[in-house]
Amino acid sequence: MRIAVAFKAVPDAQDVQVAGDRTLDFSKAKLTISEYDKNALELGAQLADEAVAITVGGKDIDNSKLKKDVMARGMGHLYMAADDALADLDAAATAAALADVLAKAGDVDAVICGDGSADNYLQQVDVQLAEKLGWPVVTAACKVEVNGSTAVVTRALEDCTEVVEVELPAVISVTPDVAEPRIPGMKDILAAGKKPMDVAGADNAPAAALTTVECLAPEQVARKLEIVDAADDGAIEKLAAAVKAAL
Amino acid sequence: MKALVIAEHADVARELAGGARELGADEVSLVCFGGAVEGASDKVLNVAVPAGALVDDAAYALVDAANAADVVLVEATRRGKVIAGRLAAKLGTAAAGATVELTAEGGRGTYFGGVAERVQKSAGDKQVYIVAAGVCDYSKAAGAGAAEDVAWVAPERAAKVTGNVERQKTAADPTKADVVVSAGRGFAAEEDLQKARDLAEKLGGAIACSRPLTEGVNWLPTELYVGVSGITVTPKLYIAAGISGQMQHMVGANRSATVIAVNKDKNAPIFKQCDFGIVGDLNEILPALTAAL
Repeated sequence: MRIAVAFKAVPDAQDVQVAGDRTLDFSKAKLTISEYDKNALELGAQLADEAVAITVGGKDIDNSKLKKDVMARGMGHLYMAADDALADLDAAATAAALADVLAKAGDVDAVICGDGSADNYLQQVDVQLAEKLGWPVVTAACKVEVNGSTAVVTRALEDCTEVVEVELPAVISVTPDVAEPRIPGMKDILAAGKKPMDVAGADNAPAAALTTVECLAPEQVARKLEIVDAADDGAIEKLAAAVKAAL
Repeated sequence: MKALVIAEHADVARELAGGARELGADEVSLVCFGGAVEGASDKVLNVAVPAGALVDDAAYALVDAANAADVVLVEATRRGKVIAGRLAAKLGTAAAGATVELTAEGGRGTYFGGVAERVQKSAGDKQVYIVAAGVCDYSKAAGAGAAEDVAWVAPERAAKVTGNVERQKTAADPTKADVVVSAGRGFAAEEDLQKARDLAEKLGGAIACSRPLTEGVNWLPTELYVGVSGITVTPKLYIAAGISGQMQHMVGANRSATVIAVNKDKNAPIFKQCDFGIVGDLNEILPALTAAL
């Protein structure tokens, strides 16, 4: 079974800074694999005879450390489109660009996606990609078993757990508890650098489906910041008074 | 302007119908997969989901209704997001998130887990928004609710539902409670959670948690997890017990009217984001507070 895992390279949110005018400053943030895509990579590596990684993004994602990190997670081949025409795309444009990359990666039985990207977290690229490919999509998968050409997927939904059978090929997006991501060792990372990686520019510059009106850090909510120590006299009484005052 | 509202829960359907009116819709059609919604919209579309079919696949039955609408509002559930994505693809656009606010300017959603808030809208004429519960005001919802049956359209390769287990909702819903007692990593043992439950019970509130208590240790169900990939709560009072106050968690709680923090680490970031904080052992403080109330 051959599986493609789609992942996104994002700036590490820990290093994103908020400027005085409330805009975001990414200049100190290193690119990293979006957190929940690591679970998707792990599941792909566990299920597949051959797992390939696919991604699209700006020119900066053609980054040796990032690529090695992906390949050290059990991937056999990387197909990447790195082009500034592909930076910061919405879900429709991302799906279009991913479909172009997947066409180069050859036939696969499934595309696995993560739960949501660290930046947008809208859970839309999986659905849009499935529509582009004309494949079924099953989201919120917390367990995936493959029997021949069928995947049996357990979905963790808000009100219920649903078991779904889907004929492959299909797009399956997974919740973080589907598989614990491995921590690549030095040997894996060294070996990763020798694995085949196809990096190309954009075949097409997809049109933006969404317009961004504004993107600013939220105004800080002013809090009273009254802090006491539990050992102080009357601390619990003050706490109880604060609780009552809030109701 | 015409709006199509799609929801899984009747109360959220009503909110979205109210939101559609606030956007200026003079004709609202509504589909709800979780019970009847009366007097909230001009039309009620009845989509009967066949046995074994995924609710997600209702998107294909709703393509005509979406084509006829200027704006499509879909409840932010896992199934809703699939429906929104498919309809957006059919309309040649992408769904924008309205998890914080929905106005004529666009949908306001969190970006990088709440480091920023971003307002986006479709570049084309057709808008598709993924709207979270609690964002829109239900009070504007109105209409005769003329019923209309919509025929099921099966996709060419439909997935099949072979099993379904209702989740046991053991606890009160923190998204609807006036008081939320939220437990974090500061709880060293599962049985200590009883102290949070006792306090919540005393205050008539609900319990919730931060991510480490659901993923990994599984002490509490995922639907009680407050934070960037979990739920957002807006109670009158949020009591954060043993929660350090990382941004990824606070994003889900910082619209609470009052935040009270209990933490043994006086340097925890939560003490910079609370109205009242108490430094000490939650195993002593929570029972003492419950007794004092």
